[in-house]
Formats: sequence, structure tokens, C-alpha cells
Amino acid sequence: MDERLDQFLGLSTALTGFDGLELRGTGVAGEYLRALDDSLPGGIVDELLAAYTKLPEGAEREAAFSKNILDDPKLGPVVQRLTMLWYCGTWTQLPDAWRAAYGISPHDTSRVVSPEAYLAGLQWVAAGAHPPGSAQQGFGSWAVDPKGAASDQ
Amino acid sequence: MTNNETYDVVVVGAGIAGSLMAKFLTRAGLRVLVLEAGAPSAESFAGYTQHVEHFFGALSKGPESAWPPAADAPQPDTGDLQNNNGYFIQKGPQTYGSTYSRTQGGSTLHWLGVALRMLPEDFKLRRLYGVGRDWPLEYKNLEPFYRKAEYEIGVSANVEDQRYHDLSFAEGYDYPMERVPLSYSDQELAKKVNGMKVDFGSGPLGLTVRSYPAGRNSVPRGNYLPVTAVDRRPDGTLMPTYLGQRCAGNTSCTPICPIQAKYNAGKSLAQADRGKLQVLAQAVASKINIDTASGTVQSITYQRYDAAGHTVHQATGRVYILAAHAVENAKLMLASDLGGQSNLVGKTLMDHPALYAWGLAPEPVGAYRGPLSTAGVEDFRAGSFRGAHAAFRFDVGNDGWRSTTGAPDKSVTGAVTQQKLFGSKLRQYLAATLPRHVRFSLAVEQLPDPANGVSIDPNSRDPLGNPRPVIHYRIDEYTLKGMVAATKVYQQMFKQAGIADCTGSSDSLWFPSVQYGSTTFHYHGMGHFSGTHAMGTNSRDSVVDGYQRSWEHRNLFLIGSGSFPTMGTSNPTLTLAALTIRTAEHLIGELTA
Repeated sequence: MDERLDQFLGLSTALTGFDGLELRGTGVAGEYLRALDDSLPGGIVDELLAAYTKLPEGAEREAAFSKNILDDPKLGPVVQRLTMLWYCGTWTQLPDAWRAAYGISPHDTSRVVSPEAYLAGLQWVAAGAHPPGSAQQGFGSWAVDPKGAASDQ
Repeated sequence: MTNNETYDVVVVGAGIAGSLMAKFLTRAGLRVLVLEAGAPSAESFAGYTQHVEHFFGALSKGPESAWPPAADAPQPDTGDLQNNNGYFIQKGPQTYGSTYSRTQGGSTLHWLGVALRMLPEDFKLRRLYGVGRDWPLEYKNLEPFYRKAEYEIGVSANVEDQRYHDLSFAEGYDYPMERVPLSYSDQELAKKVNGMKVDFGSGPLGLTVRSYPAGRNSVPRGNYLPVTAVDRRPDGTLMPTYLGQRCAGNTSCTPICPIQAKYNAGKSLAQADRGKLQVLAQAVASKINIDTASGTVQSITYQRYDAAGHTVHQATGRVYILAAHAVENAKLMLASDLGGQSNLVGKTLMDHPALYAWGLAPEPVGAYRGPLSTAGVEDFRAGSFRGAHAAFRFDVGNDGWRSTTGAPDKSVTGAVTQQKLFGSKLRQYLAATLPRHVRFSLAVEQLPDPANGVSIDPNSRDPLGNPRPVIHYRIDEYTLKGMVAATKVYQQMFKQAGIADCTGSSDSLWFPSVQYGSTTFHYHGMGHFSGTHAMGTNSRDSVVDGYQRSWEHRNLFLIGSGSFPTMGTSNPTLTLAALTIRTAEHLIGELTA
């Protein structure tokens, strides 16, 4: 297995609330890691993965995750965008202040990463729904109580 | 350069009107040429699938997102409305909020599929309520053609649901297919609001959440065979397909039904007699040439374009039919200096300016599933209040807040960047809120207003040199008062159903707005362009007669919703299809006599 991808999936699990199996099952994990590499100035993805790998285990882990990653001025906006990428299949350009402080990648543009990424959006799974135009639920499925699907986690 | 073929009929436009016309005329043995401004890219299933992929990859998922324009046949785009920098030159005072597609198949490629009949009273507003103008037809004249149009489109509904406001149906008739099942969200709403009384100043009125007739394949009645996806290969072969026999709930009627369970005009065009039909795509009609003494049309000039450039040709026939769209028909007439003695060509452009209402249901209702909508509220389409203000109907959405805030993407963005949610809390928050999203569209009637219309600006031209449409548009007090009434109704419904009203929330997308007293209404267009070459009983106050024949050019027909004198509250597609079939049969009688 690819250790870097594993680290990326570990981080992504913590960000999305979906487990590694679900994230791998989207089929776009490798594409998202490449999209992250493309969209950030060099070295920042490895810095992020290192910060994630170094988190302490046990009771301090959650606080350290917040302090070292979520609330970090450099890594915080990046993981927000990574979370949105997993949920929506869309990369959102980093804020101007971030770009001024940490550098600009020419690929840091708001975009649907690929048609496959749109289809893999976790938001549809969370909603008990499906991406419009694909993964259709079948004739009359919409007439049925959605509760089972929506709370199935 | 003259096209050497001779045709009985030259049709401009391969949308629903042109395609139905081509089907009926060729099957009656008439030779037909169809000039289509856009590309035929949706005709093969492989080509259609590329449009689906285009939609998947588009950042904005609006009605045009699957249907990029051709540079030489530009079209309006919702994304251009805010800055007024698109194909239309909008002169205000309000923004005309609708768009259409210039491509083979037309805007039916991204229509919602609502196939309502107009009401008997819609045809005689002037006589009944002293407003608008009367049609030269009555409901009873059109009823047989409504049945034919419902067959051609493949409409799913139950007659028992549709008998309201004096709508009548021929003895023993029912729609070709059973009604599309109501969504769970419709059912939950209906449990809470059906039978409630609302009051917007005309006394208490009852309401019902009701299934509407839809051009989407459902369970067929009798021997009816649902029409499946079209797959015409580049060599002309029409392949049999099985895809799309039933709506499968892709929640994507607009901008594209990936399986073509929803009707599009390509289905009708595919049913034409190919031996009698020639379709020229990427052929932009640019001028109608007439004999100035008699007014008779002698030819239509068209520009055939490809990546290398364009060439100019003439098409000739015995009869000419403009089926290019309410705006494009008027534009072509005006570009040909055929504004007419009545000076009515392009005037009285209408739409259904519609308000969104959105809220959060107390329990999950399964939003973001099923066809974009399956039910409406039709109770306020008729009534004596129409003397004072506009009628309206509601479309009850199944697509959550997608059109109103850009959810669920925007919900995710808000949860992540503002609420700072992540991990299982983020997932749980989305699971707890997204399935509760409720959306209504409140579509409000608009009367023919001589101040509204399409004109052309000779100084502003598209790449082929054709003039761009100039739009003058205002929303008058009659419609604004209808917006006030519609707002009262949805607020009472939300309250009754325990839906928390989120209308106008800070994460709303941008919409055009109009001020009424201290109220600002944010509205969107419904794509219901109409009235630009209205029919009537004489040449002084109308452009075409009851068969959509030009008063001044007797071998010229202008067909489509441009012919509507008024539009009531129904989506225009079914009515324009019925009018097209009526005109086709009339013309077949004349030309084959």
C-alpha cells in the first residue's frame, strides 16, 4: 500500500466522518491527493500529512488535532477545502490572505475536480440521496420514507 | 447559393414545435426542410452522454450547464443576468429572468416536464375579468389537440387528479401513462395542509397538494409504449433503445435527464418520415425574403456554419414556418423588416416571474431525491380575484435548496467554514438537515403589456452578423399584487406544516428583484417566453390568426408560445404542442387537398 495515501486517508477520515473503506470506495482518493498536491504550493501537503502523523494518541489527540491542524493559520484553510472536496467534489480557491502569506499554485482555482469527483460527493450519501444525474434510486423510490437511509451511519 | 431541393414546407427550428411539425407533415407525405441554428449533438446517444458529462463537470449546475452554446448561434445564460453581459441586451426596468437553448431539441432538452393544460377561463380573461385579451380559441377547441399533445409528449397523470377549475376531458379519456408517484415530501406536506383554508383577501380558499401531469415516462396505460432514448448514429441509422422507459429518479430533469425518460423534442424528430425530411443543423435563418407586392414569402436566407466559417444559402418552399422560439421568431421577423402594420411583432413578451420560498421541515422528508418536483398547488390558478391581481401556482420541489441557496454544496461550505464542523459531527449535521430542505416555486401570471417586448439593435450583432435581441421588461402591479397573495399563501402553508421559513436567508443565491412598496421581491424566470407574435381575430390587434398564420404573409406561420395572447399559469409547452398539432393538421388539409 502507498503510505502517503494511507496517511491522506487517515486525515480524510478524521475530517469527513466517513471511514477508510467508504473513502476508498469512492474511487477518487488518489485523484484527490493529486488535486491537493496540484492546488497547493510545494511542500505543504507533506507538512500537513506530517502534522497529522505526529498527533499524539489518546486523550490529547483531539485537542492537538484542533491546535496543530484545524486552527493552524496555514493548515486550517487547507483542510477545510479538503473536507469540502470530499463532500462536493469541488476545490475552492484559498483566501487571498492565505495565498499572500503562503504562496500560490497556478492550479488553485475553484473548480469541479472531475466529473467522477462530482459523482463521488459525500454530501449525497450524508443526505440519503444521490448525485443528480447519476446513481439513480429507481422508479418510485422517491415516494418512500427516507429515514432509514439518512440515519444509516 | 440556392438549395436546389424543393420542399413543401420550410421549418425554422428543431425544438418541440418544429419537430412535431416535421413529424406530422412528413407522415402526411409532405416534403419538409428543417433549419436548425444549433448543433445536432444530442441526436446520438454517445453525443447526448457527452452533454451529461459536461453537466457533471460544470461548476454551476444551472439550466444551461449541459448545453454550451455555439459561438455562431449564441443564447441567453442565467449566469449573465446579474451583470447584463450576455446575449440579451436588457433595457429594464426589470431583468427578464429566463433563458433558452439554441440546439437541436431546443429547450425541451432541459425543461422540467410540467405538462399542464390551460384552464377554460384562461382563454377569456377579458370577457370574464376585464383584463388581458381573449384568445380566438376556446378550451373546447383545443381539448382534442391537448389529448394528441399528451400522447406525443408522453404525459403521465391521472385524469381524476386533474378535474379542477372546470378542466374537462373527453369521455373515457385518461393520460397515456399513470401519474408519476408523489414524493415522500409531497405526501408529508399533503397530510398537513390538504384541506386547509388560506386567505389572501378573497375570503377563505381551500388548497390541495396535487400531482401534476408530467412529460416523464411512468407506468403505461393500455398499449401505450413509452418512448425511450434517441440514438441516431452519424450514418443516419436509428438504433432501438430500451433506456428511459421509466423515470428512475435522477433528480436532474433540469438541466439534463441522463436516461431520456423525460420527453425532449429529439424524440418527435426521430419519428418523422426520414424519406420526406431534411434537417440542416448549424443553419441559422437570417432573413425572410418577401414579394413586396403580395407579401408572400419567397425564400429564407440561412447561414450554414462550421469551424472553418460560414456560407450563405436560400431555402424555398410553398409554406414557411417559424418555430425558432418566441424571441427568435420575433428577432427574425424584425431583422427582415417585417414588423408589420400592427407593429405588434415582438411586443407583449411575457413570462411567469416566480418567487422561491424555502424552509426546514420538522422531520426528514427525503429531499434531493426523485424528479425535481412531482406536485403542485393549482387552487389559485382561477378565481374572481383575477380581476384585481394575478393568478399563481406553486411547484413543490423535491430538490431541496439546490436552486435557492446552491445547497447541498453551500450547506457543506457553511458548515465547514462558518460552523467549523468536521468529522462525524459534520456528517451528522448534514444528515439531520439536508433531508429536511423544502422548496416551493411560486409562479405568478403576467399579462400582455405593450411596454414589454423584444426588439433588435442593428448596432449590436452576433458573430454571424445577426442582431442581438433587446429586451424591455417590467413587472406591473397586477403581477406584484399576485406576488403578495402568493407570499401570504406559502407563509400560511409553512406555518400549518411546521416548516421553519428560511426564505431570503443570507446564503441565498442572487436573483433579479423588483420593488413593491416596502417589499423587495426576488424572482426568477420560468423560461416561459410568450406573447411576441400573439394570435387574434384580426390583423389590427394581432400578428397571427387562430391557426398561427401571419395576417400579412399568408404562406408564413409563426408557431410556438409566441402565439399566446395570454398565458394563464400553466407551463406553456403542452399548449404550444397542442397548437402546433392543430396547425399541422390544418396545413396538411390545405397542402394535400
